[in-house]
Amino acid sequence: MYTLLHGFYKYLVQKDEYCVLILGLDNAGKTTYLEATKTKFTKKYKAMNPNRITTTVGLNIGKIDVDGVRLSFWDLGGQVELQSLWDKTNDALAHGSLHLHLPDSLTKPIARPDYSDHQTSGSPDYRGPTYFAECHAVIYIVDSSDRERISESKETFDRMIASEQLSGVPLLVLANKQDIPDCMGVHTVKPIFNQNAHLIGARDIMLMATSALTGDGVDEGIRWLVDCIKRNSSERLPRNHDENL
Amino acid sequence: MGGLFSYFRGLLGAREMRILILGLDGAGKTTILYKLQVGEVVTTIPTIGFNVEQVTYKNLKFQVWDLGGQTSIRPYWRCYYGNTDAIIYVVDSADRDRIGISKDELVHMLREEELANAILVVLANKQDMAGCLTVAEVHQALGLDALRDRTFQIFKTSAVRGEGLDQAMDWLSSALQARK
Repeated sequence: MYTLLHGFYKYLVQKDEYCVLILGLDNAGKTTYLEATKTKFTKKYKAMNPNRITTTVGLNIGKIDVDGVRLSFWDLGGQVELQSLWDKTNDALAHGSLHLHLPDSLTKPIARPDYSDHQTSGSPDYRGPTYFAECHAVIYIVDSSDRERISESKETFDRMIASEQLSGVPLLVLANKQDIPDCMGVHTVKPIFNQNAHLIGARDIMLMATSALTGDGVDEGIRWLVDCIKRNSSERLPRNHDENL
Repeated sequence: MGGLFSYFRGLLGAREMRILILGLDGAGKTTILYKLQVGEVVTTIPTIGFNVEQVTYKNLKFQVWDLGGQTSIRPYWRCYYGNTDAIIYVVDSADRDRIGISKDELVHMLREEELANAILVVLANKQDMAGCLTVAEVHQALGLDALRDRTFQIFKTSAVRGEGLDQAMDWLSSALQARK
């Protein structure tokens, strides 16, 4: 009886859940942005002190309810050696099985560690769905104050959007750290990321200025993204609620 | 009644966080526990059963359980899962042969309902050994990219040198405070 009522209650209040990946180079401000988003959309949320946020090697999650849907954020580490984990290219390369399906841009870049020597000790047959295949939107964060690494950020961005697993997925590019006086504005950042129109294709894309530290621009970005996700929901269905690990 | 009691205790803000240290035998769990508690490297013997200590880190109190990691006693880990706030999973980064077993134990453990809300910290320990796995390799070998609904972070540590433990505890305490 309890189960029945509980199920009914869940049916009534359940919201469609969509997953949003937060990517970008290390030190772009991904985790700070996630904290700012949680603060903005969760009542009484006590954000982590930005000074105590360290380099992510792992996963930070966050869930917010906005405009009648639930967003689950996955904030992944951005260091070069961790970028391969975004879509698990590494795993596929180690086994050689996916090699032929990958665009050149994904297989060539950056010296990647060789896993072939110990890979067999795990369970080599296991190849779950990747973050790329499962997400409903991507937020790509750029450090607008770091002129030296902007081209590296752009290359990483190009590799990411070249992935077929991401085709059609709405994309929000954020020129972050606008609170730093000498940073590049939207007008400077935008042309850099607009160069590869053929890779962007027919998906929704938007470039906005934000400051994760002050919270400026967080709200607008999320609301734009939610609209796009809803529009795209016939292509990428909401996530199944009972699937949890 | 107990729930009401713990609610009021929560208001006073003095609740002790319950943390489990898990991992295969010989990963360095007991060394880490005592490094955290007394700040020294103690000589350990393989743990049969458990060690439990109260650790204070930056005004936060943790009740830290270090459970024995040998094959025969791993099934008893689950008896300790209830009310756990965080898991510190220790991996011997120099033991390439058994990283697969370590992965299986981890995957098995994370399926437990009782640990659904626990924060995960992975310590890639023994980074002082030559030829050990890097953080990215540990990430890969443990299959952590399959995780979707859990906050986790990997740190490289060397318990005997005391490296990396501070960063890990720092991150863990802010993650635990943010979660409340």
